[in-house]
Formats: sequence, structure tokens, C-alpha cells
Amino acid sequence: MNKNTYVYESNENQVVETNIDERLLGAVIRLNTFLTAAVMGILGGLGLFFTTLLSLNRGLPNPGNYLNLLGVFMPGYEVTPTGAWIGLLWGGLIGAISGGVLYRVYAHNLRIHVRNFLLQDKSGDEPYTLIVPIGGKALGLALGTVIAGGLVVTTNWLVIRGTADESVHARLLGNYLPGYSISLPGSLIGAVQLFLFVFVLCMLWSWIYNRIITTRHRGTPK
Amino acid sequence: MTRVTNADKALLKIAFCRIDAVAMAIATGAVSGLLLFLATAVLLVKGAPPGMEVGPHLELLGIYLPGYSVTWWGSLLGAGYGLLIGAVIGSLAAGMWNFTHYLYMTAMVIRASWLRMMVD
Repeated sequence: MNKNTYVYESNENQVVETNIDERLLGAVIRLNTFLTAAVMGILGGLGLFFTTLLSLNRGLPNPGNYLNLLGVFMPGYEVTPTGAWIGLLWGGLIGAISGGVLYRVYAHNLRIHVRNFLLQDKSGDEPYTLIVPIGGKALGLALGTVIAGGLVVTTNWLVIRGTADESVHARLLGNYLPGYSISLPGSLIGAVQLFLFVFVLCMLWSWIYNRIITTRHRGTPK
Repeated sequence: MTRVTNADKALLKIAFCRIDAVAMAIATGAVSGLLLFLATAVLLVKGAPPGMEVGPHLELLGIYLPGYSVTWWGSLLGAGYGLLIGAVIGSLAAGMWNFTHYLYMTAMVIRASWLRMMVD
């Protein structure tokens, strides 16, 4: 078996020597990547589907005036009943890719989870009952990469299409990301700021999540 | 003192860990509420040229969030909406994560039992 040995030191000066089967680690990462992609794909697809239907059925004079602009990035999408189904597919695809990348990047944190788990010696816990804290830095790195990468890709798609000058709505992002513009350097400047912003939000998110699970599961096996 | 451990079991437990749906809902709701509040507040603080409306595009969120507008009152209402929508999305994501893992584990247990039965 392809095993790597890691040595950790606990707070009680106890040395913990552990073997991680790299093949098992790879299989676990592949499985969770697939399941995260499935969950995000379903959420993304249904999210865009219902948003489109809601826009259609609000009784507005010009439904989808702005939502139609998503068709620039998702060929075939428009705010019509047929477009909602196409949006379901596009939302599912983009959600699944984002979810897959998200977990792949986050999985670099998995060894740290294993280390913490072993240092705390929770040998009595059974699978599926365990609730582990979420690493804010790893999540920030993963989500920041996905969202900032998305900004670079979408912005430069507008540049490649030759519609950068007409993209007045995308340019409004400059209200939140100073220096952002519809160009390669502008997208990179915006991506760095967006990455940092998402990173901070993820740190806040994980702090809230971890505080709540610590309170809710105090005294019970986590 | 040195303790030698096999990490495989720990790795599997972590791979199939659950997400706390309540914590996920509260955390996601809080962050998305803050996000919508900040998105509105930034535009209000920056303001608009004389005679121009502040945040006419962000105001379109009012199509989906009744009552929402780019005003200080709207930013608070937006925070409430963000909290609610984030909580729903957070609990849905947690529920789906837990459900897919539960399904996968059940399928594995059934498959293992079936293989054992076939061998016997």
C-alpha cells in the first residue's frame, strides 16, 4: 500500500505517528468532489430555473430585461419558459464545475482534519455522526479561487467577444472593486480584490459555523 | 510518549462527516445578510451625481425582494432578506450534502452485504 507517515505533537506533548493511505485519500477526495459537484449543480440549476420563472411570472411589462444578459455567457438562455430549462442545464453545469473545483481546492485541508481528529482521539465516534469544524482559510482559498476565477473568465469572455465597450452593466462592478474594468488587467485587479473579500467572508462564515457547532454539540460526540 | 495510529479510519470518518444544518443556515444567512447590507450601503455612501438615482441596477432586486430599495431602510430590509435566503440555501446545501453521503453509505453497506452473501 502507498502509505505516507506523518508525525504530529499534541498539546500534552504526546507524539502521534500516523499513516495515511494515499490511495484512500485520493478516493475520498474524488468521491467528495463528485458529491459536492452534484449538490452545487442541483442548487445552481434549480436556482437559475426558479429565478427565471419568478421573473416571468411577476407580471412586469418587460420580464428579463437584465436577466437576459446571462445569455451572453450561457448560449441559448433567455427569460422564456424554454430558456428556463436551458438555464437549468447551464446553472447545473456551472454549479457542478464550481463545486468540483471548490472541493478540490478545499481538500488540501483534509490532512489537517485528520491530524486534529487523531490528536483529539475521538475513537468512539461512528461515521456519519461526526461533525467537524470547517477550516475558514481553506474554504476562503477554495471559494475565493472559484469566484475570482469566475470573474476573470467572464470578463475576458466579454473582451474576446469584442463587446467590452458595450458592457455597461459589467462595468458597474467597479463600484465595489476599485480599478476593475472590462480588460485583462482590470479583471485581474478586480479578481485580487474579490478573492480577498471572499476570503474574509469565509473566515467570518467559518467562525460563526464553528462557534455554533461547538455550542450545540458540547458534551456529545462530534 | 509516542502513539502510533492508523489514519485510514479517521479519514473515512471525516469523509463521511455530517454538516450541521442549523449552524450552516445561521452562518450562511448571517453572511449573506451582511453582504446585501454592504452592497446597498456602499452605493449609498458613494452617492450619485446630482439629479441621478443611487443604485438603479441594484434596486432591480426589488423585483424579487418586495419592498427592497437602495435606501438605508432598504439596506436593513435587504439584510433581513439576505438572512432568510441565505438560511434557506445553507440548510438546503447541508441537507443535500448529508443526504447524498447517507445514500452513498447505504449503497456501500448494501453492496458489501450482497457480496458477503454471494461469497457465503
